[in-house]
Amino acid sequence: MILQQIINGISIGAVYAMIAVGYSLVYSVMNFSNFAHGEVLMLGAYAGFFAMTSLGLPLGLSIGLAMLGGGIIAVTIEKIGYSRLRKRQASSLYFMITAMGFSVFLQNFAIVTIGPNFRSYPDVFPITPYLLGNIAIGRLDVVIFLITIIALSLLTWFIYGTKIGTAIRATSYNPKVASLMGINPDLVIAIVFFLAGATAGLGGVLFGIKYTVYAWMGVLTIKAFIAAVVGGLGSLPGAVLGAFVLGITETFAAGYVSSSFRDLFSFALMVIIIVLRPGGLLGTVTQEKA
Amino acid sequence: MAILEIKHLSKYFGGVIAVEGFDLLLEEGRIEAIIGPNGAGKTTIFNLITGIYPPSEGEIFMDGHKLTGLQTYKISGLGISRTFQNIRLFPDNTVIDNVSTACHQQANYGILEGFIYSPRRIREEKEIRKHSLRLLEIAGLADRAQENARNLPYGHQRRLEIARALALNPKLLLLDEPAAGMNPEESQQLMVLIRDIKKEFNLTVLLIEHHMEVVMELSDYITVIDFGKTIAKGTPQEVQSNQKVVEAYLGIGE
Amino acid sequence: MTIYTQGILFLTSINLISVLGLSLLTGFTGSFCFGQAGFMAIGAYVSAMLAKFLSVPIPIALVCGSLAGGLISIPIGIPTLKLKGDYFAIATLGFAEAVRLVIENLQQFTGGSRGLPSIPTIKNPMGVVILGIIAFWLVRNYISSRHGRNCIAIREDEIAAQSIAINTNRYKLISFIINGMLAGLSGGLLAHYVGFIQPSMFGIPKSTELIIMVIFGGLHSVTGAALAVIILTSLPELLRAAAVWRLVLYGAMVIFIMIVRPGGLVGSWELNWPSFEKLRCWINYHIIKKSQE
Repeated sequence: MILQQIINGISIGAVYAMIAVGYSLVYSVMNFSNFAHGEVLMLGAYAGFFAMTSLGLPLGLSIGLAMLGGGIIAVTIEKIGYSRLRKRQASSLYFMITAMGFSVFLQNFAIVTIGPNFRSYPDVFPITPYLLGNIAIGRLDVVIFLITIIALSLLTWFIYGTKIGTAIRATSYNPKVASLMGINPDLVIAIVFFLAGATAGLGGVLFGIKYTVYAWMGVLTIKAFIAAVVGGLGSLPGAVLGAFVLGITETFAAGYVSSSFRDLFSFALMVIIIVLRPGGLLGTVTQEKA
Repeated sequence: MAILEIKHLSKYFGGVIAVEGFDLLLEEGRIEAIIGPNGAGKTTIFNLITGIYPPSEGEIFMDGHKLTGLQTYKISGLGISRTFQNIRLFPDNTVIDNVSTACHQQANYGILEGFIYSPRRIREEKEIRKHSLRLLEIAGLADRAQENARNLPYGHQRRLEIARALALNPKLLLLDEPAAGMNPEESQQLMVLIRDIKKEFNLTVLLIEHHMEVVMELSDYITVIDFGKTIAKGTPQEVQSNQKVVEAYLGIGE
Repeated sequence: MTIYTQGILFLTSINLISVLGLSLLTGFTGSFCFGQAGFMAIGAYVSAMLAKFLSVPIPIALVCGSLAGGLISIPIGIPTLKLKGDYFAIATLGFAEAVRLVIENLQQFTGGSRGLPSIPTIKNPMGVVILGIIAFWLVRNYISSRHGRNCIAIREDEIAAQSIAINTNRYKLISFIINGMLAGLSGGLLAHYVGFIQPSMFGIPKSTELIIMVIFGGLHSVTGAALAVIILTSLPELLRAAAVWRLVLYGAMVIFIMIVRPGGLVGSWELNWPSFEKLRCWINYHIIKKSQE
């Protein structure tokens, strides 16, 4: 029974990991929480949905479209909003408010144009799960897990193994020095947002396939934040670890206590980490320089 | 009487040695300077003194009070004021309010009196205003009192920061590159200002600076740092002729 | 006075009291609070249940609701205010959601998600309007006091504020408590106006709506926030048809304001005696001119 819960926790954790990684990526370079991240994932989920249902495209292509769409939307948000705040060296309060503005705008725009109904992705995989002894592992969950592993591996290779990735990491440590080294911060930030948007789009599709697509999916930003905080804000491996911890915690809470209190446990988890280990499980607390 | 005593101060950020084995004995009424190439650890020392982060090793005492481990606002309350390398004013606040905010000595009225205009509040606010204008006059900013701090030219911003630091009635003033970005004429005015306020307010001053004429003219004593370690100490003449200092700087000298 | 006008007066005053708290906390102290509805919910349910089940007179019930809002701010605020703004924002959001969940699950006492009906109501809006005006005056005074200056310093640059001996955590907590009390009062008033409350009234949309009012009015002006409340509360009644698009517009306006004019409607302007004097002179001048024609 416990093992089953763990498996369930891991499968939702994989989706959370996809979402949290993009969130942490933006945080590591921009040092602020992009509250509009969830709306990008929502739009990606819808993009994939309509690609499959209205355009009849196969799953792989739909995912690609969702990722592309997510990336483009994220970069657009950055260019319209955040880049101007950056130029003005606005405080993080303004960034958060702007993010909230985008979130409210996109969410309600979706409600008005696409509609408030819940949409289901068509069943792409047979429902019968794999059976490992007493444990049922959904085929869908296996696919989601594999896709997540592949995507995260690619992302890791990109960030740690390529020149652009090094530029991204340099900018996240010290933007001024990075620009002195010939790195164009605007370009780096655009790439980062594209990656974050693409992973959000992918996460949105995966979530949509596993559950449903709806205009309020943006609330998953909170899950992304909690996962990132638990693992260590700004740390990519931390976001992944945090996501799995979150997924397992939620599943156990829902299974053994009550499903309506599930979200309460997610917040409680975050509060515990904040109080006991503010840097997160993997992160370190960075101090502000004077 | 030593107003500031620093013993074997060290700070490590992970594997990076920011400061190591820094010692200082600052006597009351002196002006001393810490100089060194960029990144040598000077601002880190200021941050350690004011409690922005704790040291990895060492102790700091002011007037016998142990400062290490105290929170920044408590340390400021004990009589240490500072200015910042990158100017930290309150940009969307007026010039006079930047200074008034720091006038804690003049005001004591409590939170509840914040909601109503009690006689004590009215009286103390008058005092604050008087004191703030006085400080702005000294800094040469009285005519710009109602402007937003973000609209001031650079040199004026630096002087506003000093005026604000003075509002706390400090015993020790830490100035982090006060002459940065100033032309020779402004630097001269700044030196006059620093000398004047030191006399008028009975201050002890610890200075970080790159403008060598400012340092050499103002300081009684200089400590030179490179890569976090002290490489020379002495009077301005001694330091100027020190070979190690010349090597460390390689071409600094304006 | 028509029911319609009464409703506008009630709602504007109720929103104003809540927004005043947010203006102090987010606008002037710089702590982004995303969970205002949670505090309002606490004030609403405490006040409503006291009045309905224990026959406590409404004024006393309201005071209790307000105090409840203030008290709960303390355990929430102490661990979260010393962290970066993002943590505080999400923590307050989490708090509001937690409050909603708890209310929904305590059905025997709160009526759960179906709500709590038959709450004793206030008939005359004028008392509430006066309460709103008093609250405005009090918050305005606080902000122009030295405590308000300290809050502004914290908003502008927390490290610089600490270096001028401001205990930043203490002041942030005080702003948070004041906000909790105002939000609690506002929630209580809402309960005794509508006569019925349910958890869905106190969700994320409510919190968002209130923050948006503060942003519209200007993060640097209480008067601006008050004006925004008046405009944004009366307007939707007139724009009922386009209700769904209203939020889309709000979102766009927030983005627009942040990019173009972060000062919102009025920037840093505040209602004060000099401007009253100017207005009075202007009116006199035109009266005299008219009488000479």
